[in-house]
Amino acid sequence: MTARMRRLLLAVSLLLPVPAVAAPYEPQDSDERGLWMQMNEVERKLQTSEFVIRDPELNAYVRGVLCRSVGEDECGAARIYIMRTPYFNASMAPNGMMQVWSGLLLRMENEAQLASVLGHEFAHYKEQHSLRLFRDIRGKTNAAAWLGFIPFGFVAQLGIGMSMFSFNREMERDADAKSIDYLVKGGYDPAAATRIWSRLRDEMDATAAERKTKSRKDKNGGIFATHPPSAERVDTLKALAAAQTGTARDLGTERYRAALAPFWADFFDDQAKLNDFGASEFLLKQLAESGWTAELLFARGELHRRRAQAGDFGTATGFYRDAIAAGGEMPAIWRGLGLSLMRSGDADAGRAELREYLRRAPDASDRAMITTLAGESK
Amino acid sequence: MIRKSIVGTALIAAMLVATPALAGWKLVPAGQPVAVAKSGMTVTPDGDWNRWTARPIKTSEVWTLDGTSLNELYFVGGLADGGTLFRDIAKKARPLPKFSKTMLLPDVVEFFETSTRTALGTSLFEVGGVEPDKMGGHDAVRFSFTYTVEGDQLPRKGIAKAAIVGGQLYLVSFVAPSIHYFDRDASRVNRLLDTLTI
Repeated sequence: MTARMRRLLLAVSLLLPVPAVAAPYEPQDSDERGLWMQMNEVERKLQTSEFVIRDPELNAYVRGVLCRSVGEDECGAARIYIMRTPYFNASMAPNGMMQVWSGLLLRMENEAQLASVLGHEFAHYKEQHSLRLFRDIRGKTNAAAWLGFIPFGFVAQLGIGMSMFSFNREMERDADAKSIDYLVKGGYDPAAATRIWSRLRDEMDATAAERKTKSRKDKNGGIFATHPPSAERVDTLKALAAAQTGTARDLGTERYRAALAPFWADFFDDQAKLNDFGASEFLLKQLAESGWTAELLFARGELHRRRAQAGDFGTATGFYRDAIAAGGEMPAIWRGLGLSLMRSGDADAGRAELREYLRRAPDASDRAMITTLAGESK
Repeated sequence: MIRKSIVGTALIAAMLVATPALAGWKLVPAGQPVAVAKSGMTVTPDGDWNRWTARPIKTSEVWTLDGTSLNELYFVGGLADGGTLFRDIAKKARPLPKFSKTMLLPDVVEFFETSTRTALGTSLFEVGGVEPDKMGGHDAVRFSFTYTVEGDQLPRKGIAKAAIVGGQLYLVSFVAPSIHYFDRDASRVNRLLDTLTI
């Protein structure tokens, strides 16, 4: 062992938190040790990543949901990292590193759905699916491909890296079945899982309709390479859930909304800035299921203003005004309203609203630019 | 492969497409006006720069001092209505937003932000100060920004200047790691941005 490697290993061991379980699982052979070493390296980077959301309450909440479904005696094996990443994904690596992306939290409607995803990932971990796959890949491919196997990485790897790595159908079915067991164990509604995937399919349809392309819902690849939301899968989950009778049916919708309340505006903003109007509007309508608040109306105005197609500025103007009528006080409402009016040809009214924005946000970072645009008051 | 910079992404894509087999770097000498990005835009650098001979999009140009991951100057000259700011390499799954000639200057800042977030798949992008400016007598906007790319530990800082002239977008952006490189070169780049004409 070189001095550099020793230092590296020491650094890894110092950075990794002490596992909460008394007798943690240890890798058994060289394959597994190799896989763990790679995962520990990924985790070491994750621990200092700016993308990790460290809010203690949100972390405690997500952990609580995992523990309730997989059990207090098991959940200690997971080290959860909530990532500020606007796509739908969660994963759990063989060394216990679990990632939950903000795009997933944005898309869940209730606690039971979150429990089902966490349970599904935990099942992959528990059944050592990655290790089996790792051995499989190593047996079949050359050394270079083997080195490229770091499935639990980052967005950047979704392209090329992930295509090599996807659990096979049998593993997915296995994890799905176990996630239903976990839901039952935690007293959650076992039907919750079905709805996640059917909604995801609807969201993909919404994206496609807006872009006038074919829906990618039945494509295995890209973001959903590991978890294709296929119709077959939805049906299987439905059947599995239906087989569970006489169980508790807790959804935890209110608890979920309360836990996510401080975050959804940021998470949605990340989504809205990805140039995917169809999906964004779909998700916004989901968030508004219990009523359109001023914040939601504002977000909808922004969505239309940014799309900027025929009629959008008029529509946006309407939503901004609705947001104000609903008691909205964020200065950005008047900014959006002013810019929309200016672009729809009502320059004077637009300038007046921009001046109102400046009055309400004297320290705005774009104050100088907007002042120039707004001109002198008449 | 982690994409750290926007143009770096395009650069990789360009190499995959295999067009610029002969692409290389050429010296841009200091002290004289240089026409950039196959457009009516000129700039007068007060120090030597290196120009990449390939172009991420048709009317664009990339300059650097020490390599694009340490400092990257990206010129877009005369982007027409419907054009994208960078090469639209993931058109099907993650299409980039399109420029509209009816945009106001604050809209251009948002266009830059959405384009960058979408191209790099990041949520950590923040626009700083947005100020009015002039580009060769035309109304322009100058703004600062910061971003981090997932999987890369190095936060980046940037400044950009843009104007819409004759319904076309002229934009110059500079990106460098916030550690050392941005601060080292920011004043030099600001001086360079002052010399832009159309």
